[in-house]
Amino acid sequence: MNTNKSRKSKLTMWAIASVVILTVAAFASGILVGQVTTPKATGTVIIDDYGRTIKLGSEPKRVVSVAPTPTEMLFAVGAGNLVVGVDDYSDYPAAVKNVTKVGGIALNVEMILSLKPDLILSSDLVPLAQLAQLEGNGIPYIILAARTLEEVFKDIKLVGLMTGHIDDASALVSGLEARVAAVTAKTSDVNLTKPRVFVEFYPMWTYGPGSFGDDMIKLAGGTNIAANTSSEYVPVTDEFVIAQDPQVIVYTVGSNYNGTTPTTISKRPGWSGISAVAWGKMYSVDDNLVSRYGPRIVDGLEALAKILHPELF
Amino acid sequence: MDTSNPRKLHNDDLSSVSRRRMLILLGLAGLLAISTLVALFIGTLGPIGPAAQHRISYGDALNAIFSRSGEWETIFWDVRIPRVLLAGLVGAALACAGTAMQAVFRNPLADPFIIGVSSGAALGAATAGLIGLTAAVSVFLPPFFAFITALATVFAVYALGTVRGKVYADTLLLSGVAVAAFLGAIVSFLIYFVREQFHQLIFWLLGSLTLASWDMVIVVFIATVIGSLLIFLHGRDLNALLLGDETAHNLGVDPEFLRKLMLGVAALMTATAVAFTGIIGFVGLIVPHMMRLVFGADHRMLVPASTLFGGTFLILCDAVARTVAAPTELPVGVITALCGGPFFIYLLRRSRLGGEQR
Amino acid sequence: MSLQIKDLSFSFGDKKVLKGVSFEVADGEFIGLMGPNGSGKTTLLRCMMDYLPAESETVLVDMKPIHTFTQRELARMFAVVPQSSTTDFTFTAYDIVMMGRIPHISSRFVGESKADAEVVRKAMETTDTLRFATRVFSELSGGERQRVIIARAIAQQPKALLLDEPTVYLDINGQFEIMDLIKKLNKEDGITVIAVLHDVNLAARYCDRIALLNDGVVESIGPPKEVLTPDAIQSVYGIEVVIRKDPFTQAVYVMPRTSVPSIHRHGTRVHLISGGGTGGPTMKALHDQGYSVSTGVVNVLDDDFVSAKDLHIPAVAEVPFSQVSEEAHSENLRLISESSFVVVSSFPVGPGNFRNLEAAKAALDSGKRVIIVRPKDVPSIDFVGGKADALIAGLITSGATVTEDISKVLVGIPERRVA
Repeated sequence: MNTNKSRKSKLTMWAIASVVILTVAAFASGILVGQVTTPKATGTVIIDDYGRTIKLGSEPKRVVSVAPTPTEMLFAVGAGNLVVGVDDYSDYPAAVKNVTKVGGIALNVEMILSLKPDLILSSDLVPLAQLAQLEGNGIPYIILAARTLEEVFKDIKLVGLMTGHIDDASALVSGLEARVAAVTAKTSDVNLTKPRVFVEFYPMWTYGPGSFGDDMIKLAGGTNIAANTSSEYVPVTDEFVIAQDPQVIVYTVGSNYNGTTPTTISKRPGWSGISAVAWGKMYSVDDNLVSRYGPRIVDGLEALAKILHPELF
Repeated sequence: MDTSNPRKLHNDDLSSVSRRRMLILLGLAGLLAISTLVALFIGTLGPIGPAAQHRISYGDALNAIFSRSGEWETIFWDVRIPRVLLAGLVGAALACAGTAMQAVFRNPLADPFIIGVSSGAALGAATAGLIGLTAAVSVFLPPFFAFITALATVFAVYALGTVRGKVYADTLLLSGVAVAAFLGAIVSFLIYFVREQFHQLIFWLLGSLTLASWDMVIVVFIATVIGSLLIFLHGRDLNALLLGDETAHNLGVDPEFLRKLMLGVAALMTATAVAFTGIIGFVGLIVPHMMRLVFGADHRMLVPASTLFGGTFLILCDAVARTVAAPTELPVGVITALCGGPFFIYLLRRSRLGGEQR
Repeated sequence: MSLQIKDLSFSFGDKKVLKGVSFEVADGEFIGLMGPNGSGKTTLLRCMMDYLPAESETVLVDMKPIHTFTQRELARMFAVVPQSSTTDFTFTAYDIVMMGRIPHISSRFVGESKADAEVVRKAMETTDTLRFATRVFSELSGGERQRVIIARAIAQQPKALLLDEPTVYLDINGQFEIMDLIKKLNKEDGITVIAVLHDVNLAARYCDRIALLNDGVVESIGPPKEVLTPDAIQSVYGIEVVIRKDPFTQAVYVMPRTSVPSIHRHGTRVHLISGGGTGGPTMKALHDQGYSVSTGVVNVLDDDFVSAKDLHIPAVAEVPFSQVSEEAHSENLRLISESSFVVVSSFPVGPGNFRNLEAAKAALDSGKRVIIVRPKDVPSIDFVGGKADALIAGLITSGATVTEDISKVLVGIPERRVA
């Protein structure tokens, strides 16, 4: 074809390539430069649940919690006076009502910065990018992501450690452990019949193997009908539940209240034949007691145990 | 204009039209500057905003912005100013890319995402965390990955839409739709089965300027300025392209090459913007239309006008998004859609009525 | 600027569209490209402007292969006017014409200069499109739009204008407007014109030369009257035509013959007495019905004589402006005697051809069936002071049939015996 044409297209290919290279370089430099160095200082070294090492220069005096579970932990160990900001979803304990709110799905950076916190406590449901952004503004963050009861107790102690309430934390943990032991003492009896239970934390969703909920069901002395499914949080079908024929159905109510009642459950197609429905053994439990992996999870465990074995508790 | 006597239509009348257009362009630039400044005063903490306590006064704001002093200096220089600048740059990039797309495809319904940029970036954003490229490692990693996947998708769409070395507008369009659908399905699949990632991803999918930082501003600035300049310089050629491939060729414009260039530049600009802010819809679609109502279809005016107004538009939408329900932030894509939907209905009715009159 | 096409072939995939086309276009010529659908005219045009990639050395501009020119150079030499132009986008007519300056504006970084604006203004003036310069292009009528496109072509300041069926969507008024404009540009500004035209008569009227394409080759090329012969048109288009001369331009004028399925020629002899162009329809009707027709006496300038020639019908001819001679009259009578019956059309009767009526009378007197064809509302044909009317009346009383339309009485004629 035309030599002029190919010369022009070669030129512009170079132009585009250089723009691409420039942009990529800008990105890359951002990656290399954008890592924030936390202040080097003597003081507490924390390793959070994501394996990150955070050095706290001194005891934090102004803490912002951006998830409900860390909020509950802070107040439970007696560090509630340090909390200057919480997210929109933090609602326990009652004292939290008066604390400044800093946003829901998206955290309000302005708000957080204006509170001048020296530490942010988060769960693993908060977008990492936002936490990293705050870190870029000089505020370290710690992620608490407990997956088992042991980890919950560890996290509570961690929170106690970093806020100077280690004794309160330890005492709390001891009490919680005792309560758990009280439950498992009765439910680990080999001769105890463990009823088949379907725990619905959201319509047609339940806990699968490896999840916290599954552990709880076991500890509470029940047999999770979804114990052999494929993932930690499983959607189920009507046929599956009917086939498994649970003897007890537990559903959650609370912040995610979605209108589920025993009546609505029994009206589901084919469910009337399920043992739990026929015997009327459908119970509700406060959503926050089973989804927040903090101190109140033990409350949830006790509630579950009471539902499953009313004769024992 | 005296249309009764044709002789009277001389150069002065016609150049007054172009003078008027220049003035409007200058006006748009001024509007951009003003809205930038106004947006700096809007925010959760005031001065224009809902904050009850910790309120920033106008004086404090001016101090913080111009003399970089006072307790609010960080808020402005680390949070608000980069955010407003990013909004302006992203809005400009999307509007400019949208104008180019509508010209390349000769289709007023084209937007910058039509060749797969958004679906590719979404896939990148969705999978970045899965393979360990999280923001915990570096704030830039997920956006960079999204940028790469976006560009890769554009290449794929382009390759699929090319028949025997020639690119046809309608084949490319269909290819874009098909790839977007496919990738969208994958992303939905990922969201469904890897639900923990959902929390990280939803943020990005809804489109947000919250993460704005100076580093981002610099990167987007480079891409936007170079990209929009390249498109602007081809304004005349885009006009010719709109009349058809053959006509463009006859006027000395190579339609194939121009299409490739415009698509490439627009894709670059859009991918850069989208990688950082997620998918902000409607800006790239309706801003060119709004400007076309004022300027007509001449791209030498249309491209700079769209670029300037796109920036203004997104700056203002974002100011609303981050303030109206504070401390909660609305996704800026919701605000742009709220503006966009009614506007489209208006356009539709206007053209239908116009059609009936003919 | 001259153009040479040397053995140009082009295929779309496997489909061969052009199969070795060769011809030359001289500087300043107005050449028409004609041919039936699918003959490759548009493809040829596109190769000429390098929109379709032809093999090298097959298309030459000023003796240089077209590939040696850049696209912009070509855009400064050739301007193209397609069949129609529409766009959904709201460009004004002025915007459209200004696009013609694109190949001349030297760099991306500059806008249009005053000189460019002046070229555009003049182009619009020439095409009488200045008055809708600020109107939206897509709202103009078809003819107005074509004029604007031509203005754009002029603004390109080309050496040659390539047109692809520019009058297809125009009404009869618009067609001549555009062609006159193009002819003016050709003659006054010396712009070579290469036009693909579908209308044979437009081509004949305006082109210096015509290239007739058929199935990818040039069947013939030359001045219209040489190229547009009934045989050539029959072979290329497959339609029977007759050639006339346009009375005003003296250009070749092509008239298609309506084709009628051929009927078995029974060869019954009929003689038609006519003149003044009135016999044409009757002659054709009889001929199409299978009769063997003869006619007389008509003068050589009479349309009936030309029609007879077209149908290969023997005619007794006479020189114009003279009386029917004794010779002609006898010949007429002889043909009458050989015919089974006689048809008389309502021809104007003057002293020169009064004898034709007398021949009709003679026919009737000798026992031949005479049919007079008299359409409704025919003006008076008597220019001999009443003698013609009287004679005709006499014929009728003596047994001649009168009819408005010959085909009404044709059925059944061969069986009728002369009383």
